[in-house]
Amino acid sequence: MTTATKESRKTVRGRPQLFTSYAREMSIFNTRVKRNWAIVGILALGILPFLLQRDMVALLTTVLIYAIGGIGLNLLTGYAGQVSLGQAFFMGLGAYTAAVLGGESKGDVIGLGWDMAIWLPLAGLVPAVIALVLAPLAARVRGLYLAILTLGLVFIGEHIFKEAKPITGGAGVGRAPADPVFLGFDLFSNQTILGYRIDRFTIFYFATLVIFLVLAFAARNFVRSRFGRNFAAVRDRDVAAEVMGVSLLRTKTLAFAVSSFYAGISGALLSIVIGRISPETWNIFLSIDFLAVVFIGGLATITGSIMGAVFVVLLPKLVNWITGFIPGAGGIGDGGLLNVFELQTIIFGLLIVLFLILEPRGLYGLWLRLRNYFKAWPFSF
Amino acid sequence: MTAVADSTTRTWTLVGAVQRRATDAPEAVAMRAKRLGIWQDVTWADYADQVSLVGHALLSLGIDPGDRVAIHSENRPEWLFTDLGTNAVRGITVGLYPTNPAPEVAYLLADSGARVLIAEDQEQVDKALLIEADCPVLEHIVYLEHRGVATIDHPKLMGWEEFLARGREHREANPRALQDLADSAEPEDVVTLVYTSGTTGPPKGAMLSNANVEFASSVIVDGGGLYDPPPNPGDVILSYLPLCHVAERAVTTWTNAVSGAVVHFAESIDTVTVNIREVQPTLFFAVPRIWEKLKAAVEVRMSAASRIKKANYALWMRVGQGIATSMLANGGRHTLWSRIRYGIGYVFLYRALRERLGLRRVRAAASAAAPISPEVLFFFFTMGVPINELYGMTENSAVATSNRHGRIKLGTVGEPHPGVEIALAEGSGEILTRHPGTFVGYWGRPDATAESIDADGWLHTGDVGVWVDGTHLKIVDRIKDIIITAGGKNISPSELENALKASPFIREAIVIGDQRPYLTALIGIEEDTAGQWARAKRIPYTTYRDLSEREEILKLVQGVIAKVNEGTARVENIRKFRMLTKALDHEDGELTATQKVKRSALTQSFAPLIEDMYSGADQLPGGDQSDVIVVSRGEA
Repeated sequence: MTTATKESRKTVRGRPQLFTSYAREMSIFNTRVKRNWAIVGILALGILPFLLQRDMVALLTTVLIYAIGGIGLNLLTGYAGQVSLGQAFFMGLGAYTAAVLGGESKGDVIGLGWDMAIWLPLAGLVPAVIALVLAPLAARVRGLYLAILTLGLVFIGEHIFKEAKPITGGAGVGRAPADPVFLGFDLFSNQTILGYRIDRFTIFYFATLVIFLVLAFAARNFVRSRFGRNFAAVRDRDVAAEVMGVSLLRTKTLAFAVSSFYAGISGALLSIVIGRISPETWNIFLSIDFLAVVFIGGLATITGSIMGAVFVVLLPKLVNWITGFIPGAGGIGDGGLLNVFELQTIIFGLLIVLFLILEPRGLYGLWLRLRNYFKAWPFSF
Repeated sequence: MTAVADSTTRTWTLVGAVQRRATDAPEAVAMRAKRLGIWQDVTWADYADQVSLVGHALLSLGIDPGDRVAIHSENRPEWLFTDLGTNAVRGITVGLYPTNPAPEVAYLLADSGARVLIAEDQEQVDKALLIEADCPVLEHIVYLEHRGVATIDHPKLMGWEEFLARGREHREANPRALQDLADSAEPEDVVTLVYTSGTTGPPKGAMLSNANVEFASSVIVDGGGLYDPPPNPGDVILSYLPLCHVAERAVTTWTNAVSGAVVHFAESIDTVTVNIREVQPTLFFAVPRIWEKLKAAVEVRMSAASRIKKANYALWMRVGQGIATSMLANGGRHTLWSRIRYGIGYVFLYRALRERLGLRRVRAAASAAAPISPEVLFFFFTMGVPINELYGMTENSAVATSNRHGRIKLGTVGEPHPGVEIALAEGSGEILTRHPGTFVGYWGRPDATAESIDADGWLHTGDVGVWVDGTHLKIVDRIKDIIITAGGKNISPSELENALKASPFIREAIVIGDQRPYLTALIGIEEDTAGQWARAKRIPYTTYRDLSEREEILKLVQGVIAKVNEGTARVENIRKFRMLTKALDHEDGELTATQKVKRSALTQSFAPLIEDMYSGADQLPGGDQSDVIVVSRGEA
């Protein structure tokens, strides 16, 4: 290339809004700034576990798992506009699929002890297939009716989980989760790598981080595709979408299936962090937790789901810390006006209400506002 | 790509320059145009190929050397393809303003005797078909956009694709046709007719030759006369002013071909503010009207900003004024201290402000084509965008003087370019220029040509100038516009008018006073900014006229005039003003296509306003230095 050619090609650099192709305009990171921040964020996630204590690493792992589930629910609720309370059911399905395929056989409880390379994808696929079967039902209703329908799903699911003892161990007993052995490498045991001893929480954290990154990018990629646009069309006005040739049934079914895939993976990983899973885990409150992730993080944003997960998972820690300063709100079980769990529940409820009223776009909306304030600088609009 | 030049290519023509670039760097980007939301590249190879196709297509339509081809379109790549394609067959390009109404189109086509018209879209095709009967010479109308046109059945109509297909066919049959024509091209060949704006009479077509263009581009492009240091292929230009004007032709076509700077075409005149932010040009040329608008936009938007942002703006603009003052004292160059101050302010204001305006990466900016108020120039200096005011006109291929980097004097149009002779006529002080860029003459008007170029080759510009410090030229006004009051005092109205127009609320100001005892002014408000101001103050209004005649607006205008009067001698004070009752418009014959006021037309159509001031009747909305006249028109 001659210098003149190079010079003239360089003229798009440093001009973030000068798009010379659709591919660049629609790319996941359409500006260098966004890409660089993403790299910084990923690097930070890579360094963080070495700076934190073990319990915090476990908590961070939970954040990532919640983020995966949150992204899944956001695809359904945020992007496709289908409010679902059924997240816990699909997470449970994922967890038990993983446990049956990857766990150990003990007494009456079935466990095949397969490798993670097999059970992890299936932990997503099985809930996705079941969602596919249920979707025609769910696709017939919308709004409040859909919420009630999916609520029913959770109750039915909880009942089945309690009764299916060979699979779940039964109510109050539970079972051990799947073993995270990936191609023979145990991801949940202390390892020595290149002479450094790394504890099992950190190992599992990195395994989760990789899964999270793959799924987050996949989601980001998915929502900018034709299907992502179909989701938004159905959400914004289903009649108009159908008139334009977007099949409602197919789109909603796809949304349910993809969302359940994410839920299943998230459930399987969560069960490993928890250590022992009982059928009561997959109840309505877990679903609400995930709705909180989506609403607090912000509807229809992948980045927001991550923020929401950080918030929801770390909030109890924060509340615990704050309660030390609030008179009358003592520690657990010391007979104060409120205990930590009550206070936590109240704060959650309040936050969801406040976000819905003040900033429906959630934490991500707050960030957008802040960003727009400086984006418009030095003007106000 | 068959448009590859052989060794005999003449690089002194623009066509030759494009072909040389296509040979040297075929894949380099020549221009970009935004189509369907994307800036699409046109490489030099594409450019040369399109030029050759247009050339062959014109040959197939029977265009001979010296024939005229008219272009009636907004700025877009096809404009350049047609322009140079016409030159490639030794034809003459005639540019029409997209805003030209049908009667003017008829006049321009008939006067130039164009045989082919390239019309952009339905709007322009409709105009052409309306007046086609009055232009018997016009044989073909080629349209660029088929929407709304494709269904019209007319023997003269032809689509751009069909036009190019003819060119392709012709090229296959006569592959050497263009080369033969290029070999026979002469420096004296007229390449374009640039019609003057015609503030006083019907427009005249100024003929520019190959030699004129070559000289002009060597001086103002290569010589850094327009942008200093000179442009290069890494530079970015936004093309948005009408290409039929010599200034835009210089900053787009000539600069692009000669320097390789990448031209970006704005989608339309309405999207310029968005496009400039996307493109962030490194070189920016604007006429005073655009600079005034940018300034007004900043001021109005700042007035609606939050408190913190306002304070931030006020602080750094004050610092900026200090920077600008010290830069100007230094000829437009930074001193160490001003650079430090600018560096800090860059973080807080200048960077963001320039980014919003699309001027963040501007390394050289220029203003020309009309006089500009020093106040407006100073405003842009405060944010670190130094604007070089320069001077030139169609008749001297836009080559005369410019402010050079490091030697800027505000309020002047700078120093003569190298190789340019400038003299002031004895007595009248009229500016005379002499150089190889002096035009060939007016098309079909030897009488007017003789008035304009004297026997010694001096071009009489019609502008009055004075020397400042012996080096820099300052333009006083057009000779014809200079006011001689009844008291015998010579006054330049444009200086006062520009001072008035520096206010964001005033769009038009026409100072009157020739043969009158004192000066008065007709004022037209800027509807956007004044309307926004009125809404913020909760002043109800309905129409432009209603808004103009509100007491608050009258007081606002009165305040602006009082401020301008403070800075002038007593005889130059504007004693009274009246409000124009409508926004001036090209279609109504009040403005030229370049938005210049047609004084004579205006003083006639607004004669009652003027009489109201000088007769002492004081009945119409307006005011004097102490009172305003509000006319209630009933609460119907």
